Amino acid sequence: MRDHVLLYLNGRVLRISGDDAFLTLAEYLRRRQNLTGTKIVCAEGDCGSCAVLIGRPAQGAMRYAAVTSCIQLLFQLDASHVVTVEGLRDGQQLNPIQQAMVACHGAQCGFCTPGFVVSLYDLMHDGRTVDAQSICRGLVGNLCRCTGYDSIVRSALTADRQNLKPLDALYPPGPLIEALEQSQSQEVLIETPSCRYFKPTTLDRAVHFRADNPNCTIIAGGTDLAVVHNKRIREITAALSTTALAELNICRRDPDALYIGAGATLTALEQAALTHLPELGRFLAWFGSPLIKNAGTLAGNLVTGSPIGDTLPALIVLGAEIDVAGLTGTRRIPIANFYSGYRKTVLAPDELLTGVRIPLPLTTSHEIFKLYKVSRRKDLDISSFSAAIWLRRQSPDGPIDDIRIALGGVGPMVLRPTRAEESLRGQQPTLDLFERAANLAAADVTPITDVRGSEAYRRALASNILLKFWHETFGTPQPDRNENSNGDGPNGHPTAPNHAGAERRELRDQSAAPDPALAPPTGVPQ
Amino acid sequence: MTRAIGKDIPHDSAATHVTGESVFLDDLPPLAGELLAGIVPSPVAHGRIRRLDLSAARNIPGVHAVLTAADIPGHNAFGPAVKDELLIVEDEAVFLGQPLAIIAAETPAALEQARRAVIVEMEELPKLLTIDEAIAAASFLGSHRKLERGDVATAFASAPHTLSGELHIGGQEHFYLESQVAIAIPGEQGQMTVHSSTQHPSEVQMMVAEALGVPFNHVVCICKRMGGAFGGKETQAAHPAMIAAILAARTRRPVRFVNTKDDDMRFTGKRHPFKAVYKAAYTDDGRITALDAQLYSNGGCSTDLSFAVLERAMLHSDNAYYLPAVRITGRVCKTNLPSNTAFRGFGGPQGVAMIETIIEEIAATLNIDALDIRQRNVYSDPIENGLAASAASSSARNITPYGQLVRNNTLPELFNTLRADCAYDARRAEITRFNAASPTHLRGMALSAVKFGISFTRRTMNQANALVNIYQDGSVIVSTGATEMGQGVYTRIRQIVADELGIAYAAVVVAPTSTDKNNNTSPTAASSGTDLNGAAAADACLRLRARLTAVAAGMLARPADGLPAEPDRIRFEDGQVFDTRAPDHVIPFARVCCQAYEQRINLGERGFYITPGVDFNRETGRGSPFLYFTNGVACSEVLIDRFTGELAVTRVDLLMDLGKSINPGIDRGQIIGGFIQGMGWVTAEQLVYGPAGQLLSNSPTTYKIPNISDVPPIFNVTLLPNPNNEVSLYRSKAVGEPPLLLGLSVWLAVKDALSVAGAATGLSLPATGEQILLALAAAAQMRTPQPVST
Repeated sequence: MRDHVLLYLNGRVLRISGDDAFLTLAEYLRRRQNLTGTKIVCAEGDCGSCAVLIGRPAQGAMRYAAVTSCIQLLFQLDASHVVTVEGLRDGQQLNPIQQAMVACHGAQCGFCTPGFVVSLYDLMHDGRTVDAQSICRGLVGNLCRCTGYDSIVRSALTADRQNLKPLDALYPPGPLIEALEQSQSQEVLIETPSCRYFKPTTLDRAVHFRADNPNCTIIAGGTDLAVVHNKRIREITAALSTTALAELNICRRDPDALYIGAGATLTALEQAALTHLPELGRFLAWFGSPLIKNAGTLAGNLVTGSPIGDTLPALIVLGAEIDVAGLTGTRRIPIANFYSGYRKTVLAPDELLTGVRIPLPLTTSHEIFKLYKVSRRKDLDISSFSAAIWLRRQSPDGPIDDIRIALGGVGPMVLRPTRAEESLRGQQPTLDLFERAANLAAADVTPITDVRGSEAYRRALASNILLKFWHETFGTPQPDRNENSNGDGPNGHPTAPNHAGAERRELRDQSAAPDPALAPPTGVPQ
Repeated sequence: MTRAIGKDIPHDSAATHVTGESVFLDDLPPLAGELLAGIVPSPVAHGRIRRLDLSAARNIPGVHAVLTAADIPGHNAFGPAVKDELLIVEDEAVFLGQPLAIIAAETPAALEQARRAVIVEMEELPKLLTIDEAIAAASFLGSHRKLERGDVATAFASAPHTLSGELHIGGQEHFYLESQVAIAIPGEQGQMTVHSSTQHPSEVQMMVAEALGVPFNHVVCICKRMGGAFGGKETQAAHPAMIAAILAARTRRPVRFVNTKDDDMRFTGKRHPFKAVYKAAYTDDGRITALDAQLYSNGGCSTDLSFAVLERAMLHSDNAYYLPAVRITGRVCKTNLPSNTAFRGFGGPQGVAMIETIIEEIAATLNIDALDIRQRNVYSDPIENGLAASAASSSARNITPYGQLVRNNTLPELFNTLRADCAYDARRAEITRFNAASPTHLRGMALSAVKFGISFTRRTMNQANALVNIYQDGSVIVSTGATEMGQGVYTRIRQIVADELGIAYAAVVVAPTSTDKNNNTSPTAASSGTDLNGAAAADACLRLRARLTAVAAGMLARPADGLPAEPDRIRFEDGQVFDTRAPDHVIPFARVCCQAYEQRINLGERGFYITPGVDFNRETGRGSPFLYFTNGVACSEVLIDRFTGELAVTRVDLLMDLGKSINPGIDRGQIIGGFIQGMGWVTAEQLVYGPAGQLLSNSPTTYKIPNISDVPPIFNVTLLPNPNNEVSLYRSKAVGEPPLLLGLSVWLAVKDALSVAGAATGLSLPATGEQILLALAAAAQMRTPQPVST
């Protein structure tokens, strides 16, 4: 059992014990290592100024991904290699991305710049081809207030990628893999007067620690919990990391389902879904930034249980099942039974979520599965409203055999507008029928007004989304529009600007919570 | 010769920005003994302190000071114009977050513990948050402002058409990435050095000195760079600096104050929300004959810069359009919000929003394309009007309501050029066809303009000084009052000094801005940073070069060859000096400098510049406040989802007149960055408050500035060549603020799209998805339900 965190930072080994293990990575880099190129702006993963690359061994290679270091607690980084902007120089030279950022005016005030350099390195170092669109997708997690982004995209497009060294060329992987794999196989327990942290290597040990520490916080990606920590909304006194539980770190296709382990990142899910469940894969492009998806997990999205968790409506209409493990063994819970109230689940104090089984809809023309998200901003935003609709017809032109609709952001939990669903079953899908169903859906929901939207707005969306679905699915093709306009809407419809995406830190829907010293806000979901 | 001016030189700090080596204030490692500062924020927007018990907080280990207003050695009241804001509450808190006490502690944990140990009881008093609430309670700051020309009453009486309306304009959070930060380091004999992330070091110096009760010369304020500012660090950098300095003076230790982003957003001022109540008279062909408007701004709890902002709003209520008869009154509402402050555009955007709204409404009423209305109303020169009259004649359509002549007017050309270049008319026809056919989406388009007045409207502020020091090796340091916030002013000043001395750009260093080198400086604001400070630097260089010319003339003279010393023939180019009569004989600039030193010639110079001719009388609302105008036009096209209200900006074409650009690459960055910031203001950036007056949209999670994917997929930016701006530095034009106002074209395009569905009336700003959807829903309900066909 190790009593300290062991990690590599820009190629150097570090052993960190005591209170420092409970700092965020960004704080540690800035305060303890004087690596101040990593900036802290929001301390909630929403701006990317603190982006760093995290490398871990996988299948005999080092796999790097950029994450927001302001919401990574240091203990999570055990057995990893952290590369900061300072570690991306090519000797004394600027690397080609940096050279291009200089030449193309990619930096103005410079505060967000290191984060952009890190995200671009992640995007480009492994030889992938990039174009304006992939650059844009790769940078949605980095905010800039000065440039309007144009010069940053130009920088990326003009960077001399032939001479951009892969990270493995800067940091030879052989010794790193050996050292990190060894560290990963070791249990870690760090105890300070106020906190304890445990990294088990078996599920059994994890369950026992959980049972022995009722207040224990289970951390996989930490993208929600570190925000809770940073904003001092809740103290973390005991933490359990799942990073070394190999059996949780899976993402596989079963004959009739996708199986996502609790440790698999949303990026891994997105990639698997793009192949096996394209609507969900497409939708996950709008879930959040790569910086968040590279750390966050589906399991985290589920256990925080926010009614605006973006994956929930999809999982509900597809009838997902949740596997949990506890002292007495394992059990499988249909997602419809998983929540007992606002942000409450049926998990017992000793139980932890191990995986999610997502049944795959048939890929016939009989079945239609669509996901929607409406948020204030297209990318990197939490839903004001979300929806999933699954529909099966008796034959390609036949009446509706079955339909499941799940709506998020319109009640304390994701809800099914059952009267609307019932009105559609067995009927031919006419616009008239859907208009009546839309009215029923509006009556079935119980939205509130909060910082993300008013009750009236959400009620209108609950109704309109059925009409939008009808037009996209059964309506006549749209008239041509300016072929140059922005057609990157995630549902494949040429004129749909945007509606996919998601959130990962459900704490935020109570925009409300922040400062206990302040009076309560307008809209706290009940 | 190689000139730096006009070249696309990278930003002065780009090379260290990209490596992370650029040092921002909070990147400095702590000094020995340094303490962290924090505040105890008022939990209510308006209330009286009943009980404030600090004893427990003071006893927390690691806490060195917990101070109240009574502990301030100098003045508690401060402000840039009117000293009507209290740094620390004495009795009555006037905004949520106003400090009740300030704390210095050794660690973040001790600071947090101390904050929690403070016992506060407040008696809540009635609060005012909105403009309408303030108007109803007659709660105003100062007196009203007025701008008037012509006979408005007669114009309305005789007008064939009139319209009236109200426009509600939201505020905007600056969202500079680097939150407010200051480090105060106590010196000897009551002196204090303050490192501040500020656009206005001189003001920080003065405010700190007044708070400490020491003469101004006891305080030095230094600003190396800011991580963004946008106006938010013009006056409001003073708060953290004063807090840090008061605690540093008390504890005799260095003190650092760093806002978290959440606190920065909650507790600092923003762009002023406005309410415009307007009436306009116009002719059958859409020419505006009179405007009668009242502008109300939400000033927050104190004056800050509210009157200058209000004035600029009034002075921009004409925008690009000639208004024969005008009556505009303005009032600043006093509310219980953090004092609203400068923000890029400084009232201009709010004034322009009103007149552009009026034009859209005239167009909708007359069923004439809004661009035709704009072009019929645009300022035009007498010659274009077929008038032989002098420029100042009463029939000329080139005099602003405040009496300033619009010189070097490129507005008609800008409209004509962009209309053709962006295929406006063909696209308008296509959009009309689309909207008639699509059951799911609406498209809209608007081409609007900006005419932005360059100069501070307060005459005094149009001055700058610069210090240029040449060393014996020919290298040069320049310092001015200009502060670097990313806009590239250091880069431009380097370019100017290099060219004026005929040396390489690399031979010049711009020193951090500090008040011991440059005194009584104006803020880096009003787009004027380069115009003022660059001109002051050039002035210093002129005199230095004159002295060096005399030295070089002696060095290059060859009387024996018939070449006596002749200073007029001496040239400084590319780091070398020569006589035009024998250009092959060159000596390095460094040798001339060395020789000058040997001859005991002064190699340092102080430059000074005042903007000529500007004057504006606030009482009468008349004068020529601006040296010139920066003009531009933009055409934006949007796509709206009828079912969700979601908005996509699908194309933008932008054309600006920036004179002869000093640095085209930097100018381009200012144009695009400014436009996108303006686009954010008019679309997704919404300040949402709770019932207690607390900001709910207080972090990037809930306040959404534009993301990279919001940038229009087609975004054409072009500069109109204009070598004729004779009044400014190297015939360039200021660029910092004007492009932001072109972001309004996005909002106008939304209004245009909504008008198709009869949903445009009363559209407020920003046009969020929610507002768009609810407007569409309301318009649909107004109409008789249509039979639906499948």
